[in-house]
Amino acid sequence: MLEPVRQFINQHIELTNEEFQTLASKFHPVSFAKKTKVVNIGEVATNIYFVLKGITRRYFYRGRQEVITHLVRENGIMGSVISFLTGEPSRYILETIEPVSALAISKKDLEELFLSDKKWEKFGRKIITSFFLQIEYHNMDVIRYSTKERFVNFMKQNPDLVLRVPQKYLASYLEIQPETFSRLKHLMVKEK
Amino acid sequence: MNKAFAEIDPVYFEYAQKYLGRFMPITREELIDLLQYCEIRKFDKRVIIVREGEIDNYLNLVVKGLVRKYLPVKKGEVTLQLATEGHVVQSEISYLTKTPSMVILETLEPTILVSLTHDKMEEALDKFPKGERLGRLILAGMFIKKDDNRYNRLLKSTRERFFEYMEHHPHMLQRVPQKYLASYLQIKPETFSRLKALFAKKKK
Repeated sequence: MLEPVRQFINQHIELTNEEFQTLASKFHPVSFAKKTKVVNIGEVATNIYFVLKGITRRYFYRGRQEVITHLVRENGIMGSVISFLTGEPSRYILETIEPVSALAISKKDLEELFLSDKKWEKFGRKIITSFFLQIEYHNMDVIRYSTKERFVNFMKQNPDLVLRVPQKYLASYLEIQPETFSRLKHLMVKEK
Repeated sequence: MNKAFAEIDPVYFEYAQKYLGRFMPITREELIDLLQYCEIRKFDKRVIIVREGEIDNYLNLVVKGLVRKYLPVKKGEVTLQLATEGHVVQSEISYLTKTPSMVILETLEPTILVSLTHDKMEEALDKFPKGERLGRLILAGMFIKKDDNRYNRLLKSTRERFFEYMEHHPHMLQRVPQKYLASYLQIKPETFSRLKALFAKKKK
């Protein structure tokens, strides 16, 4: 169960076996049925999760419309991360799309780890850097690429998500109108 | 105290202290220690600081002047940031991943930056007692800000974004050509002029 999380961490920082065990001792296995709201708007997020199985989305409401800002699947970190970091009420809903099993770590345990050794602070910085880069790449893509280019790139890079995630969620995530999304999908099938 | 820094304008100290103080309390002595790792860089107006395709090696705090960050696109360019005194500006992705920059940094006014290279940053974070904590909190702050920008971009109307920006940055109209502000707010120039007139009316 711990192998995927070990691999994930290795991408960011090298840990000794002992260090990894220290971290792993803080994990709690959890599972959620599909369509569970793990964090709701107004709640303070006290955990973040490493996803072992399943898929989740994070969204907020613009009027009555859901705006999806994140999709997280296996080997990703799900959470209302801003609320987790700031201790302020969440502006987002974190909700499972499929049943999810994950490893949770609490803010309290993570803070203790940070205070115990500066190596963990660096670990925290590397993980946050990866979150930062993810959002910044997304921002750049929205400006740099046309709707069609974004659609095609996404489909090429995430063929699995197309099968697992309702189309309207994908369209929202990509900041594409649902009708445009359908049209592009038909076009892509034809071109194949 | 390091001699070079003894001669630094106290205003620079203040900006640095204010910026870092958002993340953790920091004493004057600690700040002087940290500033040893930095360089002071001075530029004329309209100078390109980072070119497209160049690796940006600096984290910069603006202590005087104004830096524009923009992204070249097929039809022209999009202004991403207008950094004035007290703000940090850099090509973030390039700096963090050591890859060629997609964005361009250019001064709009004569500018002075307190700059930290990537290597010096790592060194400072390692040596300074609370350095790694500070480093993590700075990154968290940068991330929170990006998330906030994206949330606001998706939630708010053009008009709301324009009015909020003008309320919070009333002096920018004097300092920045209108086309850059319009581009930054992702508003068409014609719409920008119309909203500006509306804003002036409302103020009266």
